[in-house]
Amino acid sequence: MATQENNDARIALLQGTLDLLILRTLVLGPCHGQGVARLIQRQSEEVFLVDHGSLYVALQRLEDRKWIRASWGLSENNRKARFYSLTAKGREQLLEKTGEWRRLTRAMGLILDAQGEEA
Amino acid sequence: MFQRKRSAEDFAEEIRAHLDLEAEELRQEGLSAEEARRKARSGFGNVTAAQERFYLKGRWAWLDKLVRDLRFGVRALRQSPGFTVTAVLTLALGIGANTAVFSVMNAVLLRSLPVADPQRVVYLRTSNPPRGTGTIDSNETFSFPVYDALRNQAKGLSDVIAYVPLSGSKVAVRFDAQPEEAEGDMVSGNFFSGLGVALPRGRGFNKEDEANHAPIAVISSNYWTRRFGRSPDVLGKAFFVNGVLLTIVGIAAQGFEGVEGGGSTDFWIPLQNRPELNAWGNPLQEGKNYIADQTWWCLRLIGRLAPGATPEQALAQLQPVFQSSAYIGLGSPMEGEKRPVMSFAEAKNFPGFDEQYGKPLRILMAMVGLVLLIALANVGMLLMARNAMRQREFSLRLALGAGRGELLRQLLTESLLLVTAGGALAWGFAEIAAKLLGRWAQIETSLAPDRTVLLFTLAVLALAALLFGLVPLRVAMAGGAELALKTSAATSNADAGKSRMGRIVVALQMALCVVLLVGGGLLIRTLRNLQGTDLGMRVDGLVVFGVNPNVKSIPEGVAFYQNLMNKLRVLPGVESVTVMEERLGSGWSDNSDMTVDGKLPNVTNGSSRTVRSNVAGPDFFTTLGVPVLAGRDFVDSDTAASPPVGIVNEQFAKRFLPNQNPLGHIIGTDDGRFQMRVVGVVKDHKYRSINEEPIPMAWYMYAQIPVIGVMQVEMRVHGEPLAILPSARKVVQQIDPNLPLIRPMTQRAQYETTISGQLLFARLAGFFGFLAAVLVATGLYGTLAYRVSMRTAEIGVRMAVGARREQVVWMILKDSLVLTAVGVVLGIPLAMFVGRALATSLYGVKPLDAVSYSLAVLGVLVVALVASAMPASQAASIDPMRALRTE
Repeated sequence: MATQENNDARIALLQGTLDLLILRTLVLGPCHGQGVARLIQRQSEEVFLVDHGSLYVALQRLEDRKWIRASWGLSENNRKARFYSLTAKGREQLLEKTGEWRRLTRAMGLILDAQGEEA
Repeated sequence: MFQRKRSAEDFAEEIRAHLDLEAEELRQEGLSAEEARRKARSGFGNVTAAQERFYLKGRWAWLDKLVRDLRFGVRALRQSPGFTVTAVLTLALGIGANTAVFSVMNAVLLRSLPVADPQRVVYLRTSNPPRGTGTIDSNETFSFPVYDALRNQAKGLSDVIAYVPLSGSKVAVRFDAQPEEAEGDMVSGNFFSGLGVALPRGRGFNKEDEANHAPIAVISSNYWTRRFGRSPDVLGKAFFVNGVLLTIVGIAAQGFEGVEGGGSTDFWIPLQNRPELNAWGNPLQEGKNYIADQTWWCLRLIGRLAPGATPEQALAQLQPVFQSSAYIGLGSPMEGEKRPVMSFAEAKNFPGFDEQYGKPLRILMAMVGLVLLIALANVGMLLMARNAMRQREFSLRLALGAGRGELLRQLLTESLLLVTAGGALAWGFAEIAAKLLGRWAQIETSLAPDRTVLLFTLAVLALAALLFGLVPLRVAMAGGAELALKTSAATSNADAGKSRMGRIVVALQMALCVVLLVGGGLLIRTLRNLQGTDLGMRVDGLVVFGVNPNVKSIPEGVAFYQNLMNKLRVLPGVESVTVMEERLGSGWSDNSDMTVDGKLPNVTNGSSRTVRSNVAGPDFFTTLGVPVLAGRDFVDSDTAASPPVGIVNEQFAKRFLPNQNPLGHIIGTDDGRFQMRVVGVVKDHKYRSINEEPIPMAWYMYAQIPVIGVMQVEMRVHGEPLAILPSARKVVQQIDPNLPLIRPMTQRAQYETTISGQLLFARLAGFFGFLAAVLVATGLYGTLAYRVSMRTAEIGVRMAVGARREQVVWMILKDSLVLTAVGVVLGIPLAMFVGRALATSLYGVKPLDAVSYSLAVLGVLVVALVASAMPASQAASIDPMRALRTE
């Protein structure tokens, strides 16, 4: 489960969205797990809370599917870290998943907005 | 796909790195080192849980993949149910037949005696018994003095064990009011201890039991189950054997049913010394039983090698003991007489089974091996055809980025699914088939598949899985992604190599089919000859059973049988009744030389002087329906008081009294003690078995000879023969309530037991020949249909440019006819070879029987034509436009 209940403004991630977020983050360039978590939180203006345990399991899953690959390297402050980067397959998936997500949010928006007009 | 799996340590390392990075960042934001580390840790959540999930995920991923592959495989197979059902059934039949025949072979030929350390146990054999002895089996039985000498002086053998049946068939026992029959042996005191057979309940025997002839019995676990429903209070139960009171003291270990093959011993008792319990149920010979009669070689012996002794050493030590004890009761050997030589036979498995079933079973095994080969080839070809059809599906998937390895794994999964399903079905099929086999073969020992059989089946399955693994490998190695771009059937499917391979396999299958059909044909003709054999009598309407009266003297015995016959004759529906000593069609006979007019007859070169004799009652030949050619049958008025009379058959008259009227001549036993006048000549007929050749025979009148004991009662009745048995039983038990009817059955059924092995063999071989033909037919149909479907475009083009329907049909038919011709040409020499191997199992057919060969060729031809007709007519009905448009 990539979700966690929280009573503040943060919202739990919908299932399956974590994969997409990871792929999106890695478009910017290779990054280690901690960086990915930070970036997701920061770019969502701290709305999304990433459960780190889930994050690493998700990273592993994506690696198994060969959407991303990993290698050990040094961070900007000279610490050992495992860096992830997108594969060609991962890029394909990102495009596809992004398209899917867009269609989903558009459809959701259409329905929610229509209801709003009626109300 | 062969990347190294990531270790859990590596994952833990990554989490540690994460915590460090987080702490570092927090410190830069202004927290103290301690605070930063704490916050990083709490921000991460449960580290152990994360590691756990990683670990599980690794497992899951693997399982997930497998499940995905399996589900995909099942779906793929379900999409072509015809292919799946054919392949699974073919495999099940091929493998099941092999498992069934192998489990019989395992039980009969390979399985060891169920005793401790069977390698150290030997059966004692002798080259020949000394002159002047009576024997049960000239190589396998010994006299009581021999047994006594061997066990007293044995050095090489730690135990010499004797055992002897209480009857040639079954013996009368009675637990309650109702008499019944069972198989019982008398055994030496060391029988159970020497063999190492455990007695989970009660006790076995010891030396004292043997010395005192203790009236106790051990029953087999099988009998306990069958007769007593495993009731625990059977120990201590008393019962009567031939009227002698015995008490059950033990139950033998499960699976132990005696040390002779085929039968299943129900109970054992210590060696007895009383007239009612003589060895083999024989009447006393001049008042002597098997212990007193030192020249009757009737005991079977088994030895256990002494620790450290080799069979050769033991034999060397025992030979002189044996050779001197062999003459106890006979005096010194005659000048120049060859002394008997003792030998050991391994007790690895049951004796006699190998001669009886060895060869037919091995031939059957070879046959089912061929069936398996055909089945595997069939499924292999079907798979190949199917995968070739899916060539474009594969290419497309390769083009879309599926790994070649993934493709191969999926195909292997499909093959594995087929093999597993086929194997499971085969096991069920084999269990039923083995049971049927055992019943047909009248093997009473357990045929339940054991570990050896399971291993055998698994080995066959592994072979199948490997073979079917190689088929898809070929496909996976062949066409690459570029194939998807080729759109014409003509280019994508004209793989010359594969089609040549297919043709070779079909031709070979044809050849194997010819071999199996010829073998099956020869044996089925043998079967028909055996069943159609003229027995020389009217066998229908005859029913036979044995009686073993408890009589003290010969007049008493004669009176018993005369009284019994008189009572049976007046039962409603009974036409006539007689008695005999050896039952017809039981395989037993009394063979000896006989004097003719006071001297042993001269015979022309090469022919034997042996006469087969039997003891018969009044109306014997009338009851059997054997024509009396001259003179008369025995009658009630032939008694001990009247002059002794005998009857001979045509062969006897022809060989010993050529060109004379046999009536009035005097014939007698070779020692000259008993002489009788020939009063009748009867037509030759079958005596011991259905497949015997006629030999000279003579009959004594039962009321006139100095021996009487168990006799077989033969009745000719109107209507269903077995229906008379209840009233016959009532008559017998009115005379003596202890007497059961021993092995009652119709005379025809009795004769058929003599050919049951051959009947079984012929039926099975015929069945497997037929099975092979069916398999070849399906295989051929599949292959041809596939080939035609591959040529759809070509046929379309041909028809579009003006080929006629017949031309197309002929083109297809020619293809399979050529294959058939090649198969027949290959198969006939092979079949001749097999025919020669079968020669000894045939009856009334020559190994080169033209009819069987013609029928086999015809059979193959029909299979080929039928299998080609459908695809051919399909090919001919192709609409040229549609054929071209499919491209």
